[in-house]
Amino acid sequence: MYKHYPKYNGSELQCIKRLSDNACIPFDPANTDYQAYLKWLAEGNTPEPADE
Amino acid sequence: MPIQTAADSISNSAGSPYGFKNRIINGAMAIDQRYAGTASASSLSGYLIDRWTIAQSTTGKLIAQQNAGSVTPPTGFTNYLGVTSQSAYTAGTNDYYAIIQTIEGYNIADLGWGTANAKTATLSFWVRSSLTGTFGATINNGGSRSYPITYTISAANTWEYKTITIPGDTSGSWGSTNGVGVQVWFSLGVGSTYGGTSGVWSSTNYVGVASTVSVVGTNGATFYITGVQLEKGSQATAFDYRDYGTELQLCMRYFQLLGSGGACGVAESATRASLTYVFPVPMRAAATGTLNAANGFLNQPQGGPNAITSMTGFFYGNGSTTTISGGWLVIDVASVLTTGKVIINSGSQGMVQFSAEL
Repeated sequence: MYKHYPKYNGSELQCIKRLSDNACIPFDPANTDYQAYLKWLAEGNTPEPADE
Repeated sequence: MPIQTAADSISNSAGSPYGFKNRIINGAMAIDQRYAGTASASSLSGYLIDRWTIAQSTTGKLIAQQNAGSVTPPTGFTNYLGVTSQSAYTAGTNDYYAIIQTIEGYNIADLGWGTANAKTATLSFWVRSSLTGTFGATINNGGSRSYPITYTISAANTWEYKTITIPGDTSGSWGSTNGVGVQVWFSLGVGSTYGGTSGVWSSTNYVGVASTVSVVGTNGATFYITGVQLEKGSQATAFDYRDYGTELQLCMRYFQLLGSGGACGVAESATRASLTYVFPVPMRAAATGTLNAANGFLNQPQGGPNAITSMTGFFYGNGSTTTISGGWLVIDVASVLTTGKVIINSGSQGMVQFSAEL
């Protein structure tokens, strides 16, 4: 499961939170955790929205 | 009469005594940044000591630890990786249990695997087990090519040295950049789906050999290994002892802790600090960060130290993708900061751990 971060200084962050360990995963195609996230998305899953 | 130079004596198809002879990183099992010698949970299926993974298709069957069991390592070594079975488990069809090292493509590209000029490589290691018999291992590319191999442990609870020569694979696709290059699997139990035939290159993703010893099959069984070396050439040569600092830097390309003084910034508010950092060693890819608050902490040196251990979360503040050389952390805390004060991290074990593992 994943969750978006809130905007920071008005900008979208280039990372996603993995809820199992609160890891911050950067959007780098060479990062294996990001690869797993993309696979998870491709399986039809959707990350939780950011907190307000 | 031609003059022969040292370079002439090093065939392109043979191993070199110079430079990066051993493609395995942390083959002597000396570096353990994550666990510092403590045992993994039986639920672990992932990285343990640096560069080495414990794979469990169903977790709870194994625990692993640097120097588990405190036996005397083989001569010339001071550390080993030890695995202990937690039950008498019969591996199912799709099960696999193993110790793995994944070698980055850049570090095996010269082997030329996947081409007509593929070079022979040799795997060597010291191994000790409470079990005897024929054990399985595999060289593969992480998905579509594999070379299952066997070796025999003759005496229980005795260190034995093994060497296995692997003919270069002239087929398949082998990574040559910063992705997966070669994976070395030491099987601890495998089902029929992932157990292949020894000594034959296959287009199936085998990770072990059928009908070999299953460590997970015996409660309390042990499997210890060290001195792992994969080198170019058909002969195993002496283990490539690299100095500790070099080996640590090689490990830090894949995993590192943000140590004391590694980041500096300012309190944005009572509950948030913004810090920049530069990695001592550039990482393989932009790294996944995980808060390591149990060991790391911030303090506010401006106006006197004010330790803060109640970190609740963090994220990368970069507006664009985080780089491999460093970045910008935004740390949230319970509420003790004074806006505008300088913030540094001073946890000896690091407040954030970064992983760019394969």
